[in-house]
Amino acid sequence: MRGFRKVCRWLHRELAFVAVGLTLVYAVSGIVINHAHHWDANYQRTLTTMVFEPVGIGPTAEITPVVLARLQLEEPVKNIWRPAPDRLQIFLADGTVEVDLVAGEAVRETVRRRPWLFDLNFMHLNSGRGPWTGIADAYAGILIVLALTGIFLVTGRRGLAGRGGVLLVLGLMLPLVYAIAMRLAG
Amino acid sequence: MRPNNWLLGTALVLLLAGGAGAEEIIYGLGVSAADTVRVSDLLANPDGYLGQTIRVQGVAVGSCQHRGCWINLASDVEGQTVRVQVKDGEIVFPPEILGDLVLAEGVWTANNLDLETTKKVCAAEASKQGEDFDPDQVTTCRTLYQLTGTGAVANKQK
Repeated sequence: MRGFRKVCRWLHRELAFVAVGLTLVYAVSGIVINHAHHWDANYQRTLTTMVFEPVGIGPTAEITPVVLARLQLEEPVKNIWRPAPDRLQIFLADGTVEVDLVAGEAVRETVRRRPWLFDLNFMHLNSGRGPWTGIADAYAGILIVLALTGIFLVTGRRGLAGRGGVLLVLGLMLPLVYAIAMRLAG
Repeated sequence: MRPNNWLLGTALVLLLAGGAGAEEIIYGLGVSAADTVRVSDLLANPDGYLGQTIRVQGVAVGSCQHRGCWINLASDVEGQTVRVQVKDGEIVFPPEILGDLVLAEGVWTANNLDLETTKKVCAAEASKQGEDFDPDQVTTCRTLYQLTGTGAVANKQK
């Protein structure tokens, strides 16, 4: 048992160092994604309203250059779309301008990636697939080893036979109770 | 090569590799169907294409803001759009896709909505347009057609 504990301690110590970086990635991104229903975790959206002299509902080819000139957009336009006779959408590299041709009002939505958070979420959700799948799998394996070896690090009253054991059961009960409650709730 | 030069060299290769493929972005399985169906033809006879694997092309004019699970492609007829719905998480359409020319492939499907769901859909559309909505005026059920997408190719417009 002593030799086994020694191996556990060695594994736990060495792998813990390796796991720090990825744990921070998954933990920070985990909190962010957990609240994805409260905010856009990946993109920052800014709305700006512009007012211009209305151009009316003429043919798209005729009114488009007039609208662009009146809005004085500085960046190149990716595309234009007329969703309805009184509306025009202008697509830019960093967002969209929704134009009300009759009211002479345009709302520009600028979309920017949240610095760092976008990258963390990209890794967490394995959006890029490819080599990251292997890295994420290896990290999950390391976490399993860390969890299991951690149980045997401490002996005595603070270990598995004492307080540690109680905390271990509590930790196991948490997801178990939640899963049962979810099933009962239907 | 000294370590700093090696790092710089690697970064340069990665940058060039990334830049070389930046014009065309492939989502999911990409596209492989032989012919492209015009969106206007598809919408003129939606039941004629049900269950078929088809390919459509159009500018991406709308996208799912929450999870990137759908895009709307503009038709060749002004005002018309077709929705490309993908499995949540399998393909994620980013907001940057808006304005890009997209070729999408998938199975053409119909969702027959019940009256209650039809009213909810109509209410959401009216709310988006900033219009008043009276649920009692909706008396018939609606069928929503969409392309259940398996892949797409976006040509990045600059």
